[in-house]
Amino acid sequence: MTSAVGFQPNHDETARQAFIGSLKEFINFKVETRLEQRFEDDLHPAWAARHGRPLADRDEAGAVLAQQPLYQLWESLTFHSQNLMWSAVQDTTDRTIEDQVGAFRERAASPERLGSMRLQDRLVVKAPISTTEIHRQPGGYWRETRADDIETALNYSGTVDLYRNAKGMGAGGKLGSDLIGRLLASVAKRRAPDLDPKAILDMGCGTGEQTLAYKRVFPDAEVTGIDCARPFIRFAHGFAESAGEAVHFAEMDAGETDFPDASFDLIVSVILFHETSRAQVRQILGECWRLLRPGGLVLHLDVPYHPHRISLLKQVTNHWQVRHNGEPFWSGFTALDMREELVAAGFDPATAFADHEQAGPATYFFFGGRK
Amino acid sequence: MTKMTEFPAGPKPGARDTSFFDDPMIDHLLRAVVTLTMELSVTRERLETLELSLQGLSVVERAKLDGFSLPPETEQARGRHRRALIEAILGPMVSRLATLDLAEGD
Repeated sequence: MTSAVGFQPNHDETARQAFIGSLKEFINFKVETRLEQRFEDDLHPAWAARHGRPLADRDEAGAVLAQQPLYQLWESLTFHSQNLMWSAVQDTTDRTIEDQVGAFRERAASPERLGSMRLQDRLVVKAPISTTEIHRQPGGYWRETRADDIETALNYSGTVDLYRNAKGMGAGGKLGSDLIGRLLASVAKRRAPDLDPKAILDMGCGTGEQTLAYKRVFPDAEVTGIDCARPFIRFAHGFAESAGEAVHFAEMDAGETDFPDASFDLIVSVILFHETSRAQVRQILGECWRLLRPGGLVLHLDVPYHPHRISLLKQVTNHWQVRHNGEPFWSGFTALDMREELVAAGFDPATAFADHEQAGPATYFFFGGRK
Repeated sequence: MTKMTEFPAGPKPGARDTSFFDDPMIDHLLRAVVTLTMELSVTRERLETLELSLQGLSVVERAKLDGFSLPPETEQARGRHRRALIEAILGPMVSRLATLDLAEGD
């Protein structure tokens, strides 16, 4: 029996990772709520009284907060919880990596495999992914330290639901959950009830858990996931084969794919764009338009923290991600008008959209359009 | 090719000891307490799992657990784990103080 490819913590590793999830939730909600109260009730009014005007922007607010021990506590705990998270998942990965690489090789070489995997001759990773430890993941997403490496993907897979749930954005998903993909698929069905997709592209598919959701929701469609991080593509392929899902994966830059024009009738992504750059946003959206079939739908989900929708305090704590959590385009992305970007990339203004939608307790940001 | 100047400054690769309090020792102490609490939580859950597993099997009695004599290799392994835990808690503070700039410590 071939082993399954997937992040597999043992008892104590699970307990440690669960603790870190609870710690992050405490920081994100309890500490941040107290900080918000302190800022709104005391710090901001006191500053406004001294200066005869309210704080103008997040930079001014950040300067006020930087002196506050409660803010320093939030910073220190947030930073350390990220240290702990990467350290805790690394324990699992170190213990399982050789078996996992072996399991991947068996799955990838199996004559009974359902899907496929395609790697490039050269790395396609660009800045900021190539130059930044995104989320402060040690070594970044894309580095390889052994033949057929999947180490960075194992680590990422171990953190993603933990991190999302602690932000209130995970839909309660457990390890390996496909709930965000299912959420996206349900929004696609609502936005394009007439669409019966035959070919689906998941851009920036990462470790592939969400890609599987599209195959499960649209079983007759051919589903392809692309990502620029080679270890993630290997992992995604092994994970899909382990789950018995016929999904194809390819190492590819979402802004420069090699698919022919009009190859897909549903193109999706989950938290891809805020890990790119302004230039890449246009390029990827242009590629979406080129690849979309007439009647098709493009639907992307990304971070919902646009400054005009959130408090000044939240703007400060969000921008902290740029300086201290390896998120160079976090604030840059939320400063963009994605509907304008879609239109500039060729989308029809009549169908291009960029909306915040409530799903359960969380708000998600969706953007895209039809052709 | 995207230019790095497009992106604002972020954390340096491998940054793990960034300080946020005026006194960096507070950061270290806070992190030490959090790490300790995590390990306490892990241990509690491990014990509970063990007790639940043994419950009903009559494998051990509590009195026998209290008088249990460890095999040497287990004793040695526990020693290594204890030393690693202490290093994880106190090591960063010791390193910080050992490399403290004299002006910083005035």
